[in-house]
Amino acid sequence: MKRIAVVGAALAFIVALLAAMGDLGPAAIDLRPSVAANLAASGVEHPVTAVLLNFRAYDTLLEIAVLLLALLGILAVGNQRESGAVGPMDPLLQMLARIAAPLMAIVAIYLLWAGAFRPGGAFQAGAVLAASAVLLHLTGLMPGWRQPRVRLRWGLSGGFLVFLAVAAVLLIEGGLLRYPPAHAGALILLIESGLTISLGLILAGLFLFLSDDDGGES
Amino acid sequence: MIDPMVWLIVLPLAWACFAFLLGPGRGARPAIAGLAVQLLLALQLAAGLNDSGAGAHAIGGWGAPLGIDLAADGLSVAMLLLTQVVVLPLAIYARTYFASYAAEARYFWPLAGFLIAGLNALFLSADLFNLYVTLELVGLAAVGLVAAGGGAKQITAALRYLFATLLGSGAYLLGVALIYGAYGTVSIPTLLPLVTAEAPDVVRLAGGLMLAGLMLKTALFPFHFWLPPAHGGAPAPVSALLSALVVKASFYLILRLWLGPFAPLAGIIAWLPALLGAAAIFWGSYQAICARRIKMLVAYSTVAQLGYLFLIFPLLPTEGALQAGIMQAYAHGLAKAAMFAAAGVLIEATGQDTVEGLAGAAQQLPLTLFAFGLAGITLMGLPPSAGFLAKWQLIEAALAQGHWIIAVAALAGGLLAAVYVFRVLRQAFLLAPVGDVRPVPRMLEWMALLLAAASVLLGLRGVELMQLLGVPAMGGAS
Repeated sequence: MKRIAVVGAALAFIVALLAAMGDLGPAAIDLRPSVAANLAASGVEHPVTAVLLNFRAYDTLLEIAVLLLALLGILAVGNQRESGAVGPMDPLLQMLARIAAPLMAIVAIYLLWAGAFRPGGAFQAGAVLAASAVLLHLTGLMPGWRQPRVRLRWGLSGGFLVFLAVAAVLLIEGGLLRYPPAHAGALILLIESGLTISLGLILAGLFLFLSDDDGGES
Repeated sequence: MIDPMVWLIVLPLAWACFAFLLGPGRGARPAIAGLAVQLLLALQLAAGLNDSGAGAHAIGGWGAPLGIDLAADGLSVAMLLLTQVVVLPLAIYARTYFASYAAEARYFWPLAGFLIAGLNALFLSADLFNLYVTLELVGLAAVGLVAAGGGAKQITAALRYLFATLLGSGAYLLGVALIYGAYGTVSIPTLLPLVTAEAPDVVRLAGGLMLAGLMLKTALFPFHFWLPPAHGGAPAPVSALLSALVVKASFYLILRLWLGPFAPLAGIIAWLPALLGAAAIFWGSYQAICARRIKMLVAYSTVAQLGYLFLIFPLLPTEGALQAGIMQAYAHGLAKAAMFAAAGVLIEATGQDTVEGLAGAAQQLPLTLFAFGLAGITLMGLPPSAGFLAKWQLIEAALAQGHWIIAVAALAGGLLAAVYVFRVLRQAFLLAPVGDVRPVPRMLEWMALLLAAASVLLGLRGVELMQLLGVPAMGGAS
């Protein structure tokens, strides 16, 4: 009975939503022309990267903090279990993973570089890096992670720190994240390089910090 | 030139990161130093606002609607000031408190830093989508703080809190998406002239979704189910932070939207939040009167006190109603931080957490009980406390508009608060043989007293706060 009520309410909401969206006219403001007009001063050629790392870079800065925070939450809960032994793995599988991991690193670097002029960028590159770490873990080549030591802590937060430092220096110069147009491209590349490594570690950490309870089986 | 607005966001982000780099359990010193500077920055911002009007900062130099703007009007700066004033004593309290709780303290400082950064960013943002990001920052940090190092029960409470807060921000985000679909912008100042009383249905739907999501995050009755276990189960400094500040952030956002872009649509439904607020006062107070554990009593008192904040909505066109709401946010923020801090001391000292077990505690911990009593005075609304000023303004505004029912709810809530406050005090002042009372660091007691005294004495300095609130946003709209 309760389930029917919930499903009914959800359906009613969807119908209301669709009906309301049906009679929607064109929006009062179209931001595409102003994005296109300012693209030349943004330091990158791809509009999505320009929005993410220049026009609305502040959102991205806070989003990175949100990702770091998600990882901090996992670390704060703590994982008291001991890591189990890694079971024997198919050598063929391990060999394939060994071949794939370096290739994935190259793909990540390419994605980072491509972000300036076509779809790509730090988030995609970081996700590929993280996937390679998860792959190595699942094939038993890399153990799960425990509480991070100094080097890993620098790696996890380094990208955010670089971003924050650039923001703070520019703030002293005149405005938060106000890149000088001549250096915008270089600064964005610097920020994205840092973010690629940190996002790769953070996203991998979301998996690897949680996974040592089942050893290599998880 | 130092722009205090932006540094209020950058500084806590920096010390949060620094604390993480230093390692588990460390980072208290940089945090406290950072918070002291933040308090000065907030005061500087308030002084600047009184002299030269609202502040603004175009991030990246683009300006809305292409970029994101920060804006500081009287309302934002009042909330910023409250945050920094409450957090500094709590941080000093937490440093001493966590000395004996290694597991809970491991990531306290980085999580707290991100929480404060999120709150400050939320109070300063003038962009609906950016506000969503700050909501996520605040919500996730709060969940992490509740879960930190706790047992199964605490993690259950944290997960329930996580689902509630994610559902709330999800509803808010859907509302933002609909607004963007309708108008093509998420900048609040740009939206102001666009949203009119003839807005399409989709805008009403968006407003409803955002309001419902934020009410869930503010734990307004009947959405309060997640609050008592989360606030009652967390370590004392965390409970204090969450009850004093985090729930106020989503309340501030409701107020900001209600007075801002949704003002032309808000008229009819103003009685809904007021009705729920009145229900919250009665239900929360009743649960607090029945609570067995002292921290649950204080947590249910938060449910009740949040109700007052929503009584102001039908009265909002008048100046006095907004002042009453913010004064109540100050009164409750300071008093509840003091009460949770005092409750933490009582639990530490008596080694148990029930109200019954407090018998005779007043002989051993007079300072803490004095702090608890002072905070209680503010919650009851006795003069000269800030709580009295808030209720007085609320009742005055209600009677001026002939809504005597709101005045009755406010008065009844004060009486009910007296019942649960005196339940604790009566037990503590019993001339019972005292059991084992462990020594507690004096610093904990002094910080509780400081916060409680501030909640009472603020009533004498209410005029400055009211003057600050009167500073409108840039461009004339408030």
